[in-house]
This record gives sequence, structure tokens and C-alpha cells, in this order.
Amino acid sequence: MPSNWGYVFAAYGIAAVALVFYWRHLARRTRALATRRAVKPRAA
Amino acid sequence: MTRALGWLAVLGLVVGLAAGFGYAPREAVQGNVQRIMYLHVPAVLTAYLAFVLVLLGSIAYLATRRPGWDRLAAAAGEIGVLFTGLTIVSGSIWGKPTWGTWWTWDARLTSTAVLFCVYVGYLLLRSLIEDPEARARYAAVVGIVGAVNIPIVHFSVKWWRALHQPSTILGPERSPIDPAIGLALFVNWVAFTLLFAYFLSRRMEIARLEEQT
Repeated sequence: MPSNWGYVFAAYGIAAVALVFYWRHLARRTRALATRRAVKPRAA
Repeated sequence: MTRALGWLAVLGLVVGLAAGFGYAPREAVQGNVQRIMYLHVPAVLTAYLAFVLVLLGSIAYLATRRPGWDRLAAAAGEIGVLFTGLTIVSGSIWGKPTWGTWWTWDARLTSTAVLFCVYVGYLLLRSLIEDPEARARYAAVVGIVGAVNIPIVHFSVKWWRALHQPSTILGPERSPIDPAIGLALFVNWVAFTLLFAYFLSRRMEIARLEEQT
């Protein structure tokens, strides 16, 4: 039976990249909105 | 609270990796490639959870017209698409060495692909309508109709002749899984659920901030 580790690491690697990317996307979006909200009253 | 949930999810994922790669034995028939199941199965269970929340949020929005329910449905829909995508990709990678093909038009695979497309459509619909009230109303209808696909995906392996194996965790019979493999699956399922809860909390916060700015 072949070990097939390459397939296992590919699956986990793709999942890790996708989840970290989404995690960072959420963090960046939250920061951007919070900054916009903090700046808005001063501009008005 | 949300930050603590995030760290708890990270801890869960680390324990899940240790359980999947260290504690659980090498599966006798499939070998190491079976370890993809510690990713594939929790991902699909998390996607089911997400789409059930889309359904509940959509029904509650139409009943109450409170925007919080629409935010819940939108957030859960987006995360559900992410986890359905991971389910399809990980299943495809598992299928190549196990079935000899990346993809086959089997009932479970096809219905899962349809589920993915329905909720991508749900997100596209949301992005196309500017009026918040109309967007929430139309999206709620799609969120309710789209949920019909969830039992179709789950029971597809029973209703049609399928290459995909029948349910071993959510099936009617007692699971034939080795206890160590079952425990590793359970730990990873808990970790993915924690991660889902963290993502949901962050995504709903973003939706609330978007409404205010």
C-alpha cells in the first residue's frame, strides 16, 4: 500500500491556506471598518 | 470573548492535528490517505451547520424583519461556502489515490457541487441588491429554498446508487469506526465547530459595522 503522504499534505496545506486567508480577510475588514467609523465623526 | 474563541479554535485545531496524525492509527485498507477524513468530515459537518443557520436566520428574518437575523444568515452562508469548498477539494484529493479519479458524477459529489453553487448564488444575489430590506427579503427566500439541498446531499448515498460510501457517523446504524479514529474525528469536529463559531462572530461584527458606516 503506497503511503500517499503527498495527497494528505496537499489537502491539509490547501485547507490551511484557505482558512488562514479567510481569518486574515476578516481581521483586515474589521480593522478597516473600525478605522472608517472612528474617522467619520471628525470629518462630518 | 471573540478573541478567546479564536484562541480556543486554534488550540482545538492543534489538538485535532495531533489526534489525526499522532493518536489515530494508520487505516488498514486506505493507509495514510484516510487521514484526510479528519479534515473532510468535520468540514462537511460544519457546512451543514452553517446552512442550517442560514435557513433558521432566513425564516426568523421573514417572521420578524429584524436585521440581526439577516446578518446571521449572510455570515453563516459565506462561511458555509468556504467549508463546502474545503469539503469538495479535500474529497477530490482523497478520491484520486482511493478511487483513481479526482472527480466523478456520483450522487453525493454532484449534490454537494450543487449545494456549493446554490450558496455561491446566494452570496452573489446579496452582492447584487443594494436596498438592504429587499436584499434581506430575497436572500431569505433563497436561503430557505436552498436548504432543501442539505437532506438531498446527506441522503443521496441512500437514495441513489453511489460510489461514495454511506454515512458512518450520522447514519442510522451504530458506527463501525475504530474508537481511536472516531475520537480523532470527534476532536476535529469540535475544533472546526469552534473555528466556525469564531468566524461567524467576526463576520457578524463586520456586517454590523458595515450597516453603521
